[in-house]
Amino acid sequence: MKVMVCLKQVPHQDARLDVNADGTWIQDGNIKFEINSYDTYALEEALKIKDAGEADVVVVSIGPDRVTQALRTALGMGADRAIHVKDDDADLSDTLGCAKILAAIAKEENPDIVFTGFMSDDGNFSAVAPMLAELLDLPSATGVLSVEVGDSLKCERELEGGALEVVELPKPCLAAIQTGANQVRYASLKGIMQAKKKPVDVKTMADLGVSDAGAGAVKAKIEKVYVPPKGDSAEILSGSTDEIVGQLVTKIKELGVL
Amino acid sequence: MIEWSEQHLMIRDTVKRFVDEEIVPNLEALEHGDMPPYDILRKLIQTFGMDEMARARFAKQIAAEKAGSASGKKDRGAKKEESQGSDGRGDATAMSLIPIIEICRYCPGMVTAMGVSLGLTSAAIMSKGTTEQKERWALDLMTFDKVGAWAITEPGSGSDAFGSMKSTAVDNGDGTYTLNGNKTFITNGPYADTIVFICKLDEPGVDPKDRKIMNFILEKGMEGLTQTQPMRKMGLHSSPTGELFLSDVVVSKDHLLGGKPVERSKSGAKDTFSMERSGVAAMALGMIERCLELSLKYAKERVQFGKPIGEFQLIQEKLARMEVARINVENMVFRTIEGAELGRGITFAEASAMKLYSARAAVEVAMEAVQIYGGNGYMSEYLVEQLARDAKVLQIYAGTDEIQISAIARDLLSRP
Repeated sequence: MKVMVCLKQVPHQDARLDVNADGTWIQDGNIKFEINSYDTYALEEALKIKDAGEADVVVVSIGPDRVTQALRTALGMGADRAIHVKDDDADLSDTLGCAKILAAIAKEENPDIVFTGFMSDDGNFSAVAPMLAELLDLPSATGVLSVEVGDSLKCERELEGGALEVVELPKPCLAAIQTGANQVRYASLKGIMQAKKKPVDVKTMADLGVSDAGAGAVKAKIEKVYVPPKGDSAEILSGSTDEIVGQLVTKIKELGVL
Repeated sequence: MIEWSEQHLMIRDTVKRFVDEEIVPNLEALEHGDMPPYDILRKLIQTFGMDEMARARFAKQIAAEKAGSASGKKDRGAKKEESQGSDGRGDATAMSLIPIIEICRYCPGMVTAMGVSLGLTSAAIMSKGTTEQKERWALDLMTFDKVGAWAITEPGSGSDAFGSMKSTAVDNGDGTYTLNGNKTFITNGPYADTIVFICKLDEPGVDPKDRKIMNFILEKGMEGLTQTQPMRKMGLHSSPTGELFLSDVVVSKDHLLGGKPVERSKSGAKDTFSMERSGVAAMALGMIERCLELSLKYAKERVQFGKPIGEFQLIQEKLARMEVARINVENMVFRTIEGAELGRGITFAEASAMKLYSARAAVEVAMEAVQIYGGNGYMSEYLVEQLARDAKVLQIYAGTDEIQISAIARDLLSRP
């Protein structure tokens, strides 16, 4: 069985995020990056299948040189090989462009299962996974909390209000994994040492025969990225503790929130 | 080596994640409660596959020793053969130092507890023990299935460990020895399963200072052996320290490490000390890095007289000195890794110099971090208070500052 896992490298959760000079994205030259948290759960699902039997786990990512570290980390955790789409133009793709590039790889790889994270920590679109499934004409499920692999892939999905839904997808298929789906493993030291020797194929959009992604194909252009100005709706209460409590109770009554 | 490699950074990130998820949430219990560090350390070792690596390393060494014995070679020959070539030795050293750095950013005591069991106790058995003793006691220590303690210090002997040593072994002449003595400041003493006990052979008529040194392997629960509760101390609360009392503990000869008294080879002890001292530099680096990060954050956030305190030159001077210390100590760690990679290691004097400098730097940086934090820094709620208490021990254990200075100076004076 072959399992393909799509990984995105995103700014580290502790990184300080400042908007860049032209207000189109963040300053990402000097910050730390990590694997998108949702994608780590997707990778863990793939590695669990590998642990349970025969499976070849291929991790795929689009991005500049630094993405190698995310891929090597995945290899250190147990993935077998990696594909790195390193192409300046590919980096400028929108969600559909990314889905097209990933679809081109999936067509070459022919995986039985494609796992992605449910969304990315930075972009928050939740768009690439369903687009990729559509482009590959694969059945798919999103918000997946657990999977059961057999002749088909049984997925338990999270619905609004805490309800769960079970869907069965014939293979090949795609599942977008929710955070908290599993306990993500650590890369072992031996795994990290071995990761250096595992293959990472570097490809460009041209290698993959993709011409309708990248900057030229972007449909939704980022107009502006900014930090909202601080509002004046916050009121700081002052006085002794008793006075503050009194003011707070009055406010709560006024607002009728209780 | 001037910076961490991509692979080293991966190891740092993955260990950091473990520290954030497993150690930080338990810091209060480890540092101010009664939680011993061993379950978390065991999980660390299993999580990163260090137990598997230890088993493989152990099997290889034992197989080489047995092959060596069968063909009439001495054990030492097999060991020498194994140690040839430096392929990957730098990475192996980095792999052992990086967890030390990352854990010390929060909890230096845990590194002490781990280091004494893995680095001192099991290493002592692996370097001096017979093959049977290694199989019986060392492997479980190397995998951390069992906790080890190395007992040398006594109430009346610290830096002058052998000269003032009072613990004795009496040869009963029937293949057994009777051991007596008090040991103190013993890391892991309260919980240790396996203890290397260092004493002198009772030789009537021989000047005590010339009596033979003997190492015995003791096991928890032996009749006459008392392991006390953890002692209260200034810092390193996550590293249980205790006393050992031996009252007529009778052991068979198979507990005598190596089956004979210790050969007074200074080079063997120096190798152990060099390893221990370079480990202290890695500990200091973790503490310095964390103190500097916290100080920088606080200097930007804390506003006094209408501006962040980082804008005051007296605070800037402290931050700058911390950065100088960080760069210097990091370079020492890099030098250790590079030396291992080149297969030449570091000299005893270098290791002593590194230990002296990095211990002093850690204390200075941690105390300055407390100063930057002001009243908050003096409160246990803030990590710098703990790191400042923890740092002080670096100037005391594994050879005091004064002993390091003597070692460096003696080395300089001995050169032609």
